[in-house]
Amino acid sequence: MFKRLFGAAIAATLLAAPVQAQQLAIWHDLGDNGTKWLNEVGAEFAKDHPGVSIRPISYPTDQWFGRAIGALNTNTAPDLLFNNYERVIRVATQTGKISDMRPVLAAIPDHGFLTEDDLRVATFDGKMIILPVQRVQMAFGVRKSWLEKTGGQFPQTWDDARRLAEAFQAGDPEGTGKGTVFGFALEAAKPRDLVHMLDLFTFGAGLRHTLVDPDGNVVIDEPQHARVLAEVLKTYGAYKLVPPDTINYSFNEMYQVIEGGRTGMFRVGDWNVAKWDSQAIKGDFLVGPWPRFFPDKQNAVVIGGMRGVAVPVNAPNKPLADAFAAFLLGKPAQQASLRIMGSAVRPDLDMAGLSERQRMFAQPKWALIAYDFPESTLPWYPELEAAFHRKLLTAIATPPADMDAFIKETAAEMRALVKQLQARKG
Amino acid sequence: MRRAPAWARGLAYAAATLVSLLFLYPYAWMLSSAFRSTRDILAAPLALWPANAGTDAFASIREAGGVSLARAILNSLAITGASTLLAVAVTALGAYALTRRPHAPAFRLLRAGFLLSMMYPYMLLVIPVYLVMFKLGLLGGYTGIILFLSLGPVQFFLFEQFFRTLPLEVIEAATVDGAGEAQILFRVILPMAAPVVATVATITFLLNWAQWFPVLVISATPDTYTLPVALLALNGELGTNFQGIMAMALVTTVPPALVFLAAQRHVMGGLTEGAVKG
Amino acid sequence: MPAMRREGVFYLFALPFAALTILFGLWPILLSIQVSFTDSATALQPAPAWVGLANYRAIFADPVFLAALVRTLAYTVLAVAANLSFALAFALLLDSALIGRGRLFFKLAVFLPVVTPDVAGYVVWRWLYDQSFGAVNAALRLLGLPAFGGLASPRTAMLALLIAELWHHAGFYVLIFLANLAILDRAQAEAAQIDGATALQRFRHVTLPQLRPAMAVNLVYAVIQFLKTFTAVVVMTKGGPADATNFVSFYAYQQFDSAQYGQATAMATVLFAIVLLVALTAYRGAERGRA
Repeated sequence: MFKRLFGAAIAATLLAAPVQAQQLAIWHDLGDNGTKWLNEVGAEFAKDHPGVSIRPISYPTDQWFGRAIGALNTNTAPDLLFNNYERVIRVATQTGKISDMRPVLAAIPDHGFLTEDDLRVATFDGKMIILPVQRVQMAFGVRKSWLEKTGGQFPQTWDDARRLAEAFQAGDPEGTGKGTVFGFALEAAKPRDLVHMLDLFTFGAGLRHTLVDPDGNVVIDEPQHARVLAEVLKTYGAYKLVPPDTINYSFNEMYQVIEGGRTGMFRVGDWNVAKWDSQAIKGDFLVGPWPRFFPDKQNAVVIGGMRGVAVPVNAPNKPLADAFAAFLLGKPAQQASLRIMGSAVRPDLDMAGLSERQRMFAQPKWALIAYDFPESTLPWYPELEAAFHRKLLTAIATPPADMDAFIKETAAEMRALVKQLQARKG
Repeated sequence: MRRAPAWARGLAYAAATLVSLLFLYPYAWMLSSAFRSTRDILAAPLALWPANAGTDAFASIREAGGVSLARAILNSLAITGASTLLAVAVTALGAYALTRRPHAPAFRLLRAGFLLSMMYPYMLLVIPVYLVMFKLGLLGGYTGIILFLSLGPVQFFLFEQFFRTLPLEVIEAATVDGAGEAQILFRVILPMAAPVVATVATITFLLNWAQWFPVLVISATPDTYTLPVALLALNGELGTNFQGIMAMALVTTVPPALVFLAAQRHVMGGLTEGAVKG
Repeated sequence: MPAMRREGVFYLFALPFAALTILFGLWPILLSIQVSFTDSATALQPAPAWVGLANYRAIFADPVFLAALVRTLAYTVLAVAANLSFALAFALLLDSALIGRGRLFFKLAVFLPVVTPDVAGYVVWRWLYDQSFGAVNAALRLLGLPAFGGLASPRTAMLALLIAELWHHAGFYVLIFLANLAILDRAQAEAAQIDGATALQRFRHVTLPQLRPAMAVNLVYAVIQFLKTFTAVVVMTKGGPADATNFVSFYAYQQFDSAQYGQATAMATVLFAIVLLVALTAYRGAERGRA
């Protein structure tokens, strides 16, 4: 009796197990939307790979770092990682366990749509650490109803934007009382938060570098750079045009300000559009290029990054992980990416079914300018950026009396640090 | 003693009431914010009665932070429940052995080792605990989380405190009657220990319900997240909603608050017992 | 050999407890200390490279760590003083003859936060402090008082953290004081009153000395508690603004997350040593007090 039961149990277990059940774990930080997209792509992938399922797991960005780095270092890695190139670079430098994707790319027959810029960004330390999957555009957004209430126009220049911000704060457009709404929503808590905001204004104004040029020369005290830096710092501080808590904001707090209807002007990433068209701010926004600072420079929408897929060298199922990574560049995955995430890298996608604003990003008619990606060529850049951030935070917390002197002093400190970092890393 | 004047009593009551209300205010705010829109909060930050009460927030967290609310609740109940049972059983047995034979060298060493490990800043055990769980094959499962949560200083002190006050005559009498040590423990001591067992169980439940860091570290996926961990994940997610966070905080807070209010005498008595005399 | 079997049973009883203590207590601590003597890049590999005290030298040369250490100690002193004085005052108030009915309610009100999951409590506090719609500033405005910088200003962030932590922890200390007050020798105070001692003198010379046990317990618990402040920082400030709340435990945790395992564990060991020192000193003090 017992034996028979036992035998039946074993048979049942064997039958229940699919022929070749395999699960690929992919860790990302894109929340429910990202999970939805990867699940759809996973279902498509399973058609050609029976028995294979994709398990997307979203972590808040901080946790994503700690987990990814810890897991790769302890040989408990997931099969794939999905994130912005600069975050994957950090994982690569701290684990040395991100595999080179060049063979995978080479095996994709029609990869010509990836530009040289795309490939340069994806390359770090001589290796291709991600397959670029989503090109990230970031535009400048304004609340439409607030513009109507205050009789303003979409700001063209920085002076326009500042005046508009003042008007929004004075006008109480939501009827919630003065001091509850703000001109801009920014973030500052971590180095990437603050410097990223500075990137957007700097590149959006048509400049080519934020902190250093490709040779490692500090540029922040050059006249035009200094002007943008001074204005951005004053926006955080003396101008009083952002929520007073901004110094503690990372992107999630910034989003709370935007989606809670508490700011007039804000960053609009292509990945935000689908959600903001229908939920949260329910289409109540206009998008365009970042404000113009200089008559001789074209202002633009910023290509501020590249998201891509990486495969750890110690992925449990590396060949299959490589296959899925390549699949993310295929048409079905890219089409789903455009629809759900608002961005892709393939140009041959179907634009029907996209909202008007989504199409503005998908087929851009505005001027575009790409971020210079110093992280991918200067290995010590994150350290420099962290020091720069510390310095800028002090200026936001206690605004310096003489901004020019502060910028000169900061530039000198950064130059000294660059020398030190270059010497250390050989 | 002569009765204090009315004004003094009035002042004392006013002070005590003010402090109590300040301590309770965050709960009221959490409760009302879970039902109010950001707009309403902006318009009247101090108001506690929602003008347009809505339960959208609860609908929005049905699936959040990579885990469904129902699953997070079940995880909390299962992990807290199982770790409480285990903690009571393991600590009671351990503390009993250690108090009955306090001078055995192995036991002195064990007690010192236990106290030492309880003093380590536990949030700095991330990587080592992660490594240990990995080496034991417990990463990502419930077992690892439950085992890790089954050790705590308060539990140990409470049991030790109780066993130290045991009347030795009872044990001696039982020994003379020919009872073995196991019999003595299960037949004689445990029935006497029922109140302390209940107290320790309640306190462990409350303490473990609040744990988040070990759960986060040992979990490989959000499938094993408990409520506080899901709340933290929600707190960090892209463009999350403020009401959702408050609703989640509410769901996390209510069960232990109810357990505490129902068993407040045991909990407060137990915690002070372990501390003052220990 | 019945006697030996009899003794053996105790070892059997202690076995699960010993197993858990070793596996999840001592082993990870030893691993952690071991890692602090290895090179971060190889720390987690099967054959890590030993670097002696290099990680310790590195952290003591790191201005951010030194600042965090000083900050942690300063915060601990402030938080312990604030918590214990509040708790003592509130316990004396509740214990006094002035409060009769409603005592339980007051006790429950301050103790409820102790059993409220800290993550949930701090999430709420973070928003209470919000500069634009937080209740704290709204209340101050209503009373005509100047606004409180809360978590947004480096000058007030530590204080804001301290208040939220006091909310979470103080109830426990109140309870310990109350338990001690309940077993006070009332006769002494009454005798002093007959001798014509003022209320302050009675408190200073009669009540306070008798509260020494509760004071000792609270002091040790509170010092260890606040040295390890972590959850409040993770939830409310992430060490900011401008490092104003970057304590050792949080800084070490961040170093972990960026794979600086050697330095992170070295910081952990330093903090552990401080906690141990405090605990041992307190233990010695208690022993001497008892003798």
